[in-house]
Amino acid sequence: MAYTFRIETQLMIPTQSSARLLREARTYLGVSLSDLILFKVFRIATETKPTKSAIEEVFVDPIMETVHWTDELKSLSIQPSWTIEVQYRPGVTDNVARSAEEALSLVGINDATVATGHLWLVVGDVTRVDVERVALELLANSLIQKVDIRDWAETVQWSRFTDVRLPTVELSMLDQRYRTHDHNASDDAWMQWSQDNCWALSAEEVNHLKGHYQRIDVQLERENMGLPSQPTDVEVEVIAQSWSEHCKHKIFAAQIEYVEGELDAPHTVVGSKVVNSLFKTYIRKATLDIEQERKLPWLRSIFHDNAGVVAFDDAVDVSIKVETHNSPSALDPYGGAITGILGVNRDILGVGLGSKPIGNMDVFCFADPSWPLAGDEDSMPVGLKAPRRLLEGVHKGVEDGGNMSGIPTVNGAIFFDQDYAGKPLVFVGTVGVMPKQLSDGRDGVDKTITPGDRIVMVGGAIGADGIHGATFSSLELDENAPATAVQIGDAITQKRAMDFLLEARDLGLFTCVTDNGAGGLSSSVGEMATLSNGATLDLGLAPTKYPNLCPWELMISESQERMTFAVSPEHIEDFLSLAERRGVEATDIGVFTDSGALKVFYNGQVVGCLDLDFLHESLPQMQLKARWNGPMERESWIDKDLRINPCTLSWSEKLKYLLSTPNVVSKEPWVRQYDHEVQGATVVKPFGGSTQQGPNDSGVLWLHPHGGAQDNTISVGCGLAPRLSLYDPYIMAQMAVDEAVRNIVSTGADIDQACALDNFCWPNPILSDKVPDGDLKLGQLVRCCEGLYDICRTYGLPLVSGKDSMKNDFRGRNGRGEALTVSILPTLLVTAMGRGSVSRIQTSDFKAVGDIILKVGLSNPSFTGSEFAQHFVLPKSESIEIDLDANLRLYRVIRDLLQNGQIESIHDISDGGTLCAVAESCFGNTLSATLTLADDDRTLFAEGAGGFVVSVSTENLSSVTAALNAAVVQYQDIGVVTNSGLLSIGDEQISIADLKDAWTREL
Amino acid sequence: MTCKFLILTGDGINCANETAWAFELAGGEADIIHINDLLAKPEMLFDYQGMAFPGGFSFGDDLGSGQVMALKMRHALGTELSAFVNNGAAIIGICNGFQMLTKLGLLPHPTRGRSVALAPNLQGQFIDRWVTLERPQSSVCKWTIGLEQFDLPIRHGEGRVVFSQGQEASLYQELVANGQVALRYSEDVNGSYDRIAAICDPRGLILGLMPHPEAHLFDLHRPNQTATPFAEGAGLKMFQNIVAHLQTSSEVSP
Repeated sequence: MAYTFRIETQLMIPTQSSARLLREARTYLGVSLSDLILFKVFRIATETKPTKSAIEEVFVDPIMETVHWTDELKSLSIQPSWTIEVQYRPGVTDNVARSAEEALSLVGINDATVATGHLWLVVGDVTRVDVERVALELLANSLIQKVDIRDWAETVQWSRFTDVRLPTVELSMLDQRYRTHDHNASDDAWMQWSQDNCWALSAEEVNHLKGHYQRIDVQLERENMGLPSQPTDVEVEVIAQSWSEHCKHKIFAAQIEYVEGELDAPHTVVGSKVVNSLFKTYIRKATLDIEQERKLPWLRSIFHDNAGVVAFDDAVDVSIKVETHNSPSALDPYGGAITGILGVNRDILGVGLGSKPIGNMDVFCFADPSWPLAGDEDSMPVGLKAPRRLLEGVHKGVEDGGNMSGIPTVNGAIFFDQDYAGKPLVFVGTVGVMPKQLSDGRDGVDKTITPGDRIVMVGGAIGADGIHGATFSSLELDENAPATAVQIGDAITQKRAMDFLLEARDLGLFTCVTDNGAGGLSSSVGEMATLSNGATLDLGLAPTKYPNLCPWELMISESQERMTFAVSPEHIEDFLSLAERRGVEATDIGVFTDSGALKVFYNGQVVGCLDLDFLHESLPQMQLKARWNGPMERESWIDKDLRINPCTLSWSEKLKYLLSTPNVVSKEPWVRQYDHEVQGATVVKPFGGSTQQGPNDSGVLWLHPHGGAQDNTISVGCGLAPRLSLYDPYIMAQMAVDEAVRNIVSTGADIDQACALDNFCWPNPILSDKVPDGDLKLGQLVRCCEGLYDICRTYGLPLVSGKDSMKNDFRGRNGRGEALTVSILPTLLVTAMGRGSVSRIQTSDFKAVGDIILKVGLSNPSFTGSEFAQHFVLPKSESIEIDLDANLRLYRVIRDLLQNGQIESIHDISDGGTLCAVAESCFGNTLSATLTLADDDRTLFAEGAGGFVVSVSTENLSSVTAALNAAVVQYQDIGVVTNSGLLSIGDEQISIADLKDAWTREL
Repeated sequence: MTCKFLILTGDGINCANETAWAFELAGGEADIIHINDLLAKPEMLFDYQGMAFPGGFSFGDDLGSGQVMALKMRHALGTELSAFVNNGAAIIGICNGFQMLTKLGLLPHPTRGRSVALAPNLQGQFIDRWVTLERPQSSVCKWTIGLEQFDLPIRHGEGRVVFSQGQEASLYQELVANGQVALRYSEDVNGSYDRIAAICDPRGLILGLMPHPEAHLFDLHRPNQTATPFAEGAGLKMFQNIVAHLQTSSEVSP
């Protein structure tokens, strides 16, 4: 380029962001800096000489920013001791640069290439090692960014304004379009290739693949097509993607020989048996049994599309999906999380003929953010990030992904436990709405593809980032995880694609759409091809970020913001022209056929052909072993027990302690950074009451602004109980379902019009030399599915969507070089969605002085798995029982009482037990309570299924208790709402302000 | 007379639907128009009596909030937009739309160049919470008539009003003297100069505000429950005000 130059811009208005960074450097890294000053860096290359004013018009707001064209550091009043320059590595998505290039074209500079970066000036007397730590821990991720640190002398010598280079991806030109792999090579050779290429193929799968290519008919067919007899890399890569655990869910489809030991009461006996597919036996069967038994008319589309669809309204259908994005988030928390949330948005967009995202949900499972303590850093798994960094990065990713896309974040949770140090769990979910019928009369959930329909790729160009996302997530984490699996989402490109999709849908311009999820075109076209029974595409037509990508890379790269459409020939012109007018890249790359095969070309030359039956239907079922012998004791891989003797503290001290634990403490400062009410339909927000600090149990979305009936709402809530996994996964599953259901019932959802989603995150459950307890982990999975089935049947709660992530372990070393394996707690996240009504909505905050406080339900309180047991020493573990029938009666009577307007507030009893629930109910309106509860730990702090703290006006009390009695639901009058500012039990009291201070302490 | 409003969308604008609904509930007509369609046919502006720049993250706020969208409009729509303003059109910029209006130079004064910007919040982060707003007695704003003290949500990372450096006091005094400070926060929420939440042009027709009136159309939008969920919210009143004003005003020449 003729003109290559650098500018630096500086905000002249002080903010507290640098103060926060300074505090974090001091608190988490023990590094004291005087100041950190940010200059934004833009490196620009163009053939047209730009004017100074054009550049300034693009890059700054003259009221508050200045541009530096030359080195201005020497003229600063403060002399920095160091500078840190952070720039993206070649090929990493640079969203700001993309916008800058578009902006430059508006001022007549059409050919610009831009790269952005940050220049940090470090003020203070600190060593290079400390500056490096600040740079790598707080300011940059070395996986995707390059960091250069200079002392002041080096900075002065640095000719950064004259010697300017932009990062470019340079791939060498291919001399051949593909490589082949010999199908007659030994199994060992194939396993080595599999490992080297990140295919994640098992020995059985390699055998199956080799056998296919050894067939005479396959060989003849290949010869006819002009393909080599040996499989091409394009073919093997497509096979590896399609057969990955991520895409195929092989463990849930496996035949499992389950052996159960003799169990003590009250553990439910499942009994030894052979399970032919967990999915068919438990998940799908639960839903089909419920559908048949209850003759449910509202299950619109389940198990076969990108998300579940239910008819909770007469005019619009509601879709819902929850995904995990664990491995990418472990490597790059921000990039992993934003691609996760944008990815699940695309799942919703790709439901039926296109569904509009109306609400996001997020649940994180991390290790305690205060771990590791200073001096203990070498207990960390090498290559993984400290929980604090993960939390901040993931949170920011979800914030940007949701806020920029204009989708409210309406529900979520953060759960902390040490065993997530090996792999963080990042669940992201989205709710969507779609018209039941399109304007041309087509059913909204109907996807059809006719041979001859064009294959159109829409959205971002393809790059090398995002290769092997599907196979990578099917592997365990170690120190050598590939950086290409990390991507950065581009919310604005996706937002344009989203608006375009909905507009094209309403104009009837396409016949089918799906997300390019993990596996890229390979998975989207590969799956869509099954609808017409074939597809032919030319990868040479696909837009790329830079030249010389191999065909196999083009085929499987999952670069974000991309969706694949089927468009009939009569609409293709209108479709492409609308895309152009909306600034959306759309490319016709091929045609759907009925050839029975996926045929792949590159610039007219054939590079692969795969029989669809072989690809999707032929894989032999896995045969696995599972066992379960009863509850296990927890073995901590960190040798610390800081639990307290409960007898040394009074109830108020224990309450204050529990309210400030990471799992109970208010997440408000984090939640307020999410936009939770864009689209104008969020009726129950994460925090409510006049103080806006009362924690609500679930999010409620009003369907009316989205085309639904005026009174119609949906509640979305979640539940998880991983600490019970070691006690009994059967109970763990039921506790998760019950919590999710409680959370939506308390905001007005109808238990009889509710559905759930199951998201399993498990440690590797396949028995091998490397995983000697794999059979036990699979046994836990079997019991979990049994528990899930039983509770869903009793509650009449169909499972409409779900997902599993099965290799959540770390195998590597700690900072001391010792071998370390950390497996996550087996985790089932349950998301519940129920139909509600504006007239039934209620929130957690006490409303009026004098209202009577009732504890309703919670018939079997226990300490096992409770927050109390995490922090206080208890004599022994105890059993847990759940009375499912009683809970169902409870949820129905609560619905009726809410419908009658007889309940003033309702809050579910969960982490921290009854007393924490009462305290939290006080915070929304700065009220207080005088309780008549006995001062014993079990009464105050035990947890369990099916419990609420409810407040009722004195005039409604008798009718409420009559209804509860009629429903045979346990309840107890536990006190009265006051405005004394004190929470009192007997002679002891504590101020609500004190409790609130504890609960709102900074996490 | 029916009042027609053009609601801008595209390139990362997020709140077009609820903003259009607000105008419709207030008795107006609202068309959601993609920015590229408007730029292709700028004269369509003259079919309308008013226009809304809704909230969102246009161009991801990548070069500063509203920066690229304002650039795009200035270069392709400058003349028509000036004529539209001169005709007495009512314009509202909400959140990201307010940021666009300042960068377009339509606020605080359509013909005097830029003097106000919306800087990153003092806290350095995005905030979603409900705030109480107060209308200064001197305000000439036509949108906020009759709204003395009311609640709306804020949802922004860059909403802090700042003035050209060195001229803060005089520029601020001029706004106060002209009745252009349309709304103040009842407490300091983001470091904004003298708690300014909204600014209007000297005629009171062009309003830029950080809080979201389209997010408080009914009581049920509030964070605290009320007994009347479908009662009209304070935000709706602003849209009703402007429809009423345009219907009775002779300034408009469609």
